Amino acid sequence: MVTHEEVQKLAILAKLFVADEELDKLTKDMEEIISFADTINNASVEETNFDNINGLSNVFREDVVIPSFSREDILKNAPDNDEGCFLVKKRG
Amino acid sequence: MKYELVAGFETHIELATNTKIFCSCTTEFGGEPNTHCCPVCIGLPGTLPKLNKKVVEYAIKAGLATNCEIAEISKMDRKNYCYPDLPKAYQISQYDMPLCQNGYVELSSGKKIRLNRIHIEEDAGKLIHRKGDTLVDYNRGGVPLIEIVSEPDIRSVDEAKEYVEKLQLIMRYIGISDCKMQEGSMRCDVNISVRPVGSEVYGTRTEIKNMNSITFIAKAMEYEFERQVDLIESGGKVIQETLRYDDVTNTTSSMRGKEDAHDYRYFREPDLVTINVPKEQVEKIKKSLPEFPTQKLKRYVEEYDIPNTDAQLLTKYRKIAEYFEEAIDGIKTPKTASNFIIGQIFRKLENEAEKEEFNIKVSAKSLNELIKLLDSGKIKMNLAKSTLDKMLETGKNVYELISESDMGGIDDNTLLELCNQAIQQNPNAVNDFKNGKVKAVKAMVGFVMKNSRGKADAVLAEQKLIELMQ
Repeated sequence: MVTHEEVQKLAILAKLFVADEELDKLTKDMEEIISFADTINNASVEETNFDNINGLSNVFREDVVIPSFSREDILKNAPDNDEGCFLVKKRG
Repeated sequence: MKYELVAGFETHIELATNTKIFCSCTTEFGGEPNTHCCPVCIGLPGTLPKLNKKVVEYAIKAGLATNCEIAEISKMDRKNYCYPDLPKAYQISQYDMPLCQNGYVELSSGKKIRLNRIHIEEDAGKLIHRKGDTLVDYNRGGVPLIEIVSEPDIRSVDEAKEYVEKLQLIMRYIGISDCKMQEGSMRCDVNISVRPVGSEVYGTRTEIKNMNSITFIAKAMEYEFERQVDLIESGGKVIQETLRYDDVTNTTSSMRGKEDAHDYRYFREPDLVTINVPKEQVEKIKKSLPEFPTQKLKRYVEEYDIPNTDAQLLTKYRKIAEYFEEAIDGIKTPKTASNFIIGQIFRKLENEAEKEEFNIKVSAKSLNELIKLLDSGKIKMNLAKSTLDKMLETGKNVYELISESDMGGIDDNTLLELCNQAIQQNPNAVNDFKNGKVKAVKAMVGFVMKNSRGKADAVLAEQKLIELMQ
């Protein structure tokens, strides 16, 4: 069982605002998601090596510098910027 | 009631790789804000991280240097929290399968501070708080870190200081970080609790975040120990919380905000594959490691007969130790080299940073030549000392400063002659000496040394002068 409080806690952690009238629906959705995860949990996995499920390991990059992007490009999608930095408003 | 301090450390160390952990941007310190960035390290959607090979290698070195087991299989995880220094709203770190586990750092008392783990992760960006808003610079975002987590084995401020210094020393020796606390390439979080002496149970702990100086760590721990003891003595209870240390007021205060929600919802990073470290690779890295400072120290004391305090000074920085070892190659008296380095060469170096750099005009080979002349009796200690001072000034080698004819000292007749001259030409000093001022003889020894161009034996000259005047 998922409670309204648990959904609200997740919303706070994800910095989302959830109105009271949305809680019933979201709680029901969350329950479905979790029961789907339970289905997976019930599957027999003893033979499977989950440490390496895609058969890949050790995909590395050499330690060689590639020039970074121009600051103009880096800040292009920032909602606001100042002094070459991303500008973030204080939250309540 | 008497209380004891219980402390554990979480130490973040920036690795000295060229590039960031998941992209090829430079890790250089400083630089204009947001000029060391790319879509990966500012967390744009659709980008994929790719792990820097060097980061894994350096972390394994750190693990081996602190007696850890290296995991054959490890993986990366996402640690979720919302804060502007983290553009993706999660940090890529390691949760339940860290690269290194179960190590220890040995203190000079022989006590072992156990390490729970060392894992790799990315650093966050830098926030500059202003009135009403915050500026974010992501140059540091994605710089590789190792986090070294100790067990709560530390029982005093002195142990804490030694632990941090040891870590710093080891990491610099193996060359994986410069560990500059002022620049933030080494930062400590300290977990502190108190308990009555003799008690087996731990008290409630508080965590002091992000300290970047050993002095502040010591002060903060002293303050926090007193605060917790006072609180308990007056019937209160320690609350588990995260604290900030203020070095101006020397107090700790509660930190609110990002630490409120201690619910990181870790899960496996799906964009990165498993890290697989074969045993052969661990062996190979082990072989590449230099001799550690503690081993060097032991060897200097036992094999070279160097006093422990001097050996500590010589082994504190890798460059000095290497210089010393090169300087004593083929030499009968390693202690002379040690005395020259600590006595005369250190005088040229103003602070710890300069000692670490060890930029001096005399090469180890030059010092070696000087000591060989001394060992073979061709020059006397006085001349060797004054020559070393000249070498340090000019950068010239010993053969440019002392000619063959200057070597070999002087015979007894010449010494007698020089002493007689000294007596004749310094009547005041002779008078002073005869009136009981024994020290007056030193001025005359100086006269003899000068006129023999440093070749005379100062001890013999003093004996001879006293003999002649009596």
